[in-house]
Amino acid sequence: MNEWPLLIFTIAMQAAIGGIFMLWVYQLRCKDKENLDMFNLFKIPLVIIAGFSLVGLGASFAHLGAPTNAFNTLRHVGSSWMSREILVTGMFIGLTFITAAWAFYRKKVSPWLLLVTALVGFIDVYCMAAIYSNSLISPWNSIHTFMSFYGTTFILGSVLAVALLATALYRQKMELEAKQFTKVALIIAMLGIALQVIGTALLPVTMTEVNMIEASAITELLSGYTGMVTLRWIISILGIALLFFLAVSSYKKSFAALSFIMLLTFVMSEGMSRYVFYVLGS
Amino acid sequence: MTQLGFYIDQARCIGCEACVIACKDKNDNPVGVNFRRVYSFEEGSFTEDKNGSFIQNIQSYFLSISCNHCDEPKCVENCPTTAMFKREEDGVVVVDQDKCVGCRYCEWNCPYGAPQYNEELGKMTKCDLCIDLLEKGERPACEGACPVRAIEIGPIDELRAKYGNVSEVKGLPTASITKPNLVINTHKDASE
Ligand code: SF4
Ligand code: SF4
Repeated sequence: MNEWPLLIFTIAMQAAIGGIFMLWVYQLRCKDKENLDMFNLFKIPLVIIAGFSLVGLGASFAHLGAPTNAFNTLRHVGSSWMSREILVTGMFIGLTFITAAWAFYRKKVSPWLLLVTALVGFIDVYCMAAIYSNSLISPWNSIHTFMSFYGTTFILGSVLAVALLATALYRQKMELEAKQFTKVALIIAMLGIALQVIGTALLPVTMTEVNMIEASAITELLSGYTGMVTLRWIISILGIALLFFLAVSSYKKSFAALSFIMLLTFVMSEGMSRYVFYVLGS
Repeated sequence: MTQLGFYIDQARCIGCEACVIACKDKNDNPVGVNFRRVYSFEEGSFTEDKNGSFIQNIQSYFLSISCNHCDEPKCVENCPTTAMFKREEDGVVVVDQDKCVGCRYCEWNCPYGAPQYNEELGKMTKCDLCIDLLEKGERPACEGACPVRAIEIGPIDELRAKYGNVSEVKGLPTASITKPNLVINTHKDASE
């Protein structure tokens, strides 16, 4: 496995994109709560999400053999998905920083900026997946890539929001709010898991024939990683169970600690899933 | 434009890899970087007959492949920097080292494993059909080195007129992906 920078890049960016989306979802739910200090709630999540996008940016540079030529990557937007992805990723990171800067400057959160950033982020996930699904590497050349990437976006976005936002709500003694929002996050995370489950089921069916010299058939490749894939699903189920517990129980003392454990659980399961994705292809 | 290409006489190839070495030497490539590669294919097995003798259906053949300077090069289409490009004058596909960012995306988009990443440079390198030698009126390294004359380089129209149109053999991906400028005289075991 020598694609660690790409693994970190895709995971960090998808977490940031999902995170921004969840912040937008939250403010939508609280639109008419006039006295809510949204800025206070959002400032730490915004900073952390911006941090994630910077980690992603750094990792993407680590992938390049000649990073000093990085600006050349924008020369082929007309035909290369890699060019398009780099352009849109740049836009997302820029917008994330503008959203955060605006919030800190005006001491209030702009729903429109959040929405635009999230939408650009979703386009970015599409571009990321298109790079792989348009390549000749058969385990990537499938709709599975899209479902896996969007799945990770929803899963990591919602658990990140629970760990950052729901804990802040608890701290401000808005327990009902926290619980309701955790339920919304649970639904969105389940949606992400559903996308991934369907995608995984579709992978052997939608795979293309081998179209590179010396490539092995995908079923053969997959058989080497069944242990890891199984473990990944077990960890995901544990994570969902934990998230479910947080959403329904009234056990709030260790909410913060538990939500961070849950975040780590999902980072691990998504990381493992992405690891298998890259080893299948390289 | 006269498109240049390769004729590979697979039926003659003995798998000696003289072409691989000549290419590596000419381009001074490090370990692991091979603009031309010889793949060997084997299938079949020995089975014991009732009376104790063995019967076999072993098939084996070699295939020497580099970049085919394709008509629809997916490497060029997907390169984000336009470093990978097809020359107007002879259709040879080359990497502009000043532009390449070393993202290795072209590797994922070539059916023939032609782009070869050079760790030291942090950039992509590949077969340029020895255009420097061709300009001097000399033969490309691989062509010159083959002891059985299984490689010929020239305008693809002429090669096709002489040797036919086969550009797919068993073990090679379909030619419809990139339309390679390649003509093969198929080994008997490699016809599909
Ligand atoms: S053989 Fe590969 S590297 Fe060469 S032109 Fe065709 S697609 Fe590009
Ligand atoms: S490694 Fe260089 S030549 Fe290959 S796709 Fe990237 S920029 Fe283009």
